[in-house]
Amino acid sequence: MRLLANLALQNLGRRKARSFLLIAAVAIGSGVVFTGATLMRSIDDSMAVGFTRLGADMMVVPEGALTNITAALLTVEPTDLVLDADVLARASIASLGRIAPQKIVRVGHSGIGGHHDLVDLIGIDPARDFTIQPWLKEKLNRELRAGDVILGAGRDVPLGSQLLIFGKPHLVYGKLGRTGVGTHERGVFMSFATLEALTGSMPQHGDVRPAALSPGKVTGFLVELAPGATALQARFAILSAVKGAKVVTGDSSLSGIRQGLAALLQGILALMILMFASMAVMVSVLFSAIVTERRGELGLLKAIGARRAQLVGMMVIEAVIATGVGGVLGVALGVLVMRLYERSLVYYLDNIGVPFIWLDLPQTVAYAAAAIVLASAIGALGALYPAWRASRRDAYELVRGES
Amino acid sequence: MLACRQVSKSYRTERGIVTAVAGIDLDVAAGRFAAIIGRSGSGKSTLMAMIGGLSRPSGGTVTIDGTDLWRLSDNALSEFRNGKIGYVFQFASLLPTLRLIDNVALPAMLGRRHGASGSYARAAGLLERMGLGGYLDAYPSEISAGEQRRVAIARALINDPALLLADEPTSDLDEQTESEIMDVLLTINREVGTTLILVTHNLALAEKAQQVVHIANGALVA
Ligand SMILES: Nc1ncnc2c1ncn2[C@@H]1O[C@H](COP(=O)(O)OP(=O)(O)O)[C@@H](O)[C@H]1O
Ligand SMILES: [Mg+2]
Repeated sequence: MRLLANLALQNLGRRKARSFLLIAAVAIGSGVVFTGATLMRSIDDSMAVGFTRLGADMMVVPEGALTNITAALLTVEPTDLVLDADVLARASIASLGRIAPQKIVRVGHSGIGGHHDLVDLIGIDPARDFTIQPWLKEKLNRELRAGDVILGAGRDVPLGSQLLIFGKPHLVYGKLGRTGVGTHERGVFMSFATLEALTGSMPQHGDVRPAALSPGKVTGFLVELAPGATALQARFAILSAVKGAKVVTGDSSLSGIRQGLAALLQGILALMILMFASMAVMVSVLFSAIVTERRGELGLLKAIGARRAQLVGMMVIEAVIATGVGGVLGVALGVLVMRLYERSLVYYLDNIGVPFIWLDLPQTVAYAAAAIVLASAIGALGALYPAWRASRRDAYELVRGES
Repeated sequence: MLACRQVSKSYRTERGIVTAVAGIDLDVAAGRFAAIIGRSGSGKSTLMAMIGGLSRPSGGTVTIDGTDLWRLSDNALSEFRNGKIGYVFQFASLLPTLRLIDNVALPAMLGRRHGASGSYARAAGLLERMGLGGYLDAYPSEISAGEQRRVAIARALINDPALLLADEPTSDLDEQTESEIMDVLLTINREVGTTLILVTHNLALAEKAQQVVHIANGALVA
C-alpha cells in the first residue's frame, strides 16, 4: 500500500542521523563483502590460470644446471648441459603425467631486439608442450609449422609479420599472453626442428656449438605429476631411473604462495561472514529500538484497522529501503575502491607471479546484485522479528506505551 | 447494538494482579448517546478499549451488532475495527509525517472500500465539514490542538462507523474548544445517527446523554 510505504519512507527521513548511520554501516558492510567476494573470485581465477596454464609440477634438468624457480613457473637457465630427449619416456615412470621437453639457447647478436640483447630461443615439441601453447593469446589460424615462431608478450612484433633471426626469415605465428614470468615474456619459441635449423646460421665461437641444438638432446623437461602421485614418489622414480639428472620441484615456493593466498582468501571469507553477521545483529537491535520507539504509532495504525501483516510490512519496507540503499552505496564504494587500488594490486600480484585477471562483467554484476539483495534481506530479517512481536500486542497496550 | 456481558480485565504487574474492570454488563442501543463517568483510574479507558476491539478482555464478551468481537480472528477484528468503529483518543493521535488529508484518508485506504480517489474525496469533504477545508495539505504540527482533535474525529468517521468511541477527547483542551468539539460529536450522533459512547469528566455534558454509565473501581455504580 502506497500510504504505508510512504510512511516507511518518511519515518526514515524523520530520523536523518540515525538513518544515515544505518545506511553507512550497511554500505560499509556490503561494500566489504562485495569487494572481498569480487577480489577473491578474481584472485582465485587468476591463480587457477597461473597454475594450471603454466602448470608444471616439477622440472628435470641435468645435474649442475642452474635453475630459476619463480613463483608461477619453473624455468631452466640456458646451459650447455643436456639430457637425452627420450630419457624420461624410456624410463616410463608411472608417477609422471605429461612431459614437455625444452631446448633453451641464449644468444646475442641474433637480430632480435637491441644489438647486445641476449635472447632465449626456446625449442618445444608442440605435441607434448603444455606450458607454452596454452598461453597463446593470438595466433594464426593454422597449425604451427617449420619457420614459425611464438613470441612472449614482452615482444612487440605483429602477428604474421616476418622476423629475421641470424638473417633467416621466420614468421610470427603466435603471441603469448602475459604470464608474469621473465623467460615467457621475452622468449622466442619454436619447434625443435626450427631451432635446430638455425644451427648453421649462428656465429660460432671456435668450434663450440650449444649442445642443446644437437638433435636428440634437450635442456630439460617440464613435468606434470600423474593424478594422485606425490612429488616425492616422482622424484625418487626419476632419480633412480635417470643418471645425471636433477629434479627441481617448485613445491615449496608454489605451495607457499598458494597457501598464503588461500589463507588470505579464507581471511576475507571469515571477515565477510562476520561482517554480515554483525550487520544482521545491528539491524535487528536497531529495529527493536525503532519498533519500541514507534509503538504508539503502530498501535494507532492497528486501532484504525491496519492488519498485522501491514504493520510488519511497513517496518520491513522501512528496513529494506535503508539497507538496500546501503547495499547500493556499498557496491558503488567497492567499485571505487577497486578502481583506485587496481594498479597497485595488479602490480603486486604480478610480482608474486600471479597474472591478475578481473572477474568478468556479468559475474561482477551478479556479485553486486547479490550483495544488494543480501543487504536488503538482512534489513528484512532484522526488522521482521521485532515488528512481528510488536504487531501481536493489543493496540491499546501499544498506544498506552507500557510494556 | 452494543452488549457487554461480564466483561473484565486484569493486568499482571509487579505489585500483583490489578483488576481494572471487574465484570461489567452494559447495553447501548443503536443511535444512542451514552456517557461514561467515573474517577480517574476507575477503569473507563480499559472498558472503552475492550469495547473498541483494542484490548482483549480477560473475561466476558463484547458483542457489537451481533458480532462477538473477541472471537474474531486477528485480521477479521482489524477489518471490524476499520469498518464499524471510530475511535477518538484522549491524546493527539495523528501521524506527524502525513498530511491532514492523508491522516483522514488512511483508514479508508486500509479498508480498501472506496478506492484512492473516493477515499480522498471523502476525506476532503469531512475535513471541510470540520472547518478545515483550507488545511488539507497541512501537517499536524501546523495546526492547533483543537484542530488536531477535529482531524482525529474526521478520521474516525471516514468509514461511516456504526459506533463512535471517544475517550475524554477534550481533557487537554480549553473550555471553549472543548464545547466546540463536543458540539461536533453530538451533531454527528444526532444527524447521522452514529451511536456515541463518550468518556467525560464534564458532568454538564453527561447530562445531555441519553444514558449515563457510572463506574467506580472497575464496576458499575447503580
Ligand atoms: N497496561 C496496564 N498495566 C497495568 N495496570 C493498568 C494498565 N492499564 C490500566 N491499568 C490500571 O487499571 C486501572 C484502570 O485504568 P484506566 O482504565 O486507564 O482508568 P481510567 O481511564 O478510568 O482513568 C488503573 O488502576 C490503572 O493503573
Ligand atoms: Mg482514562
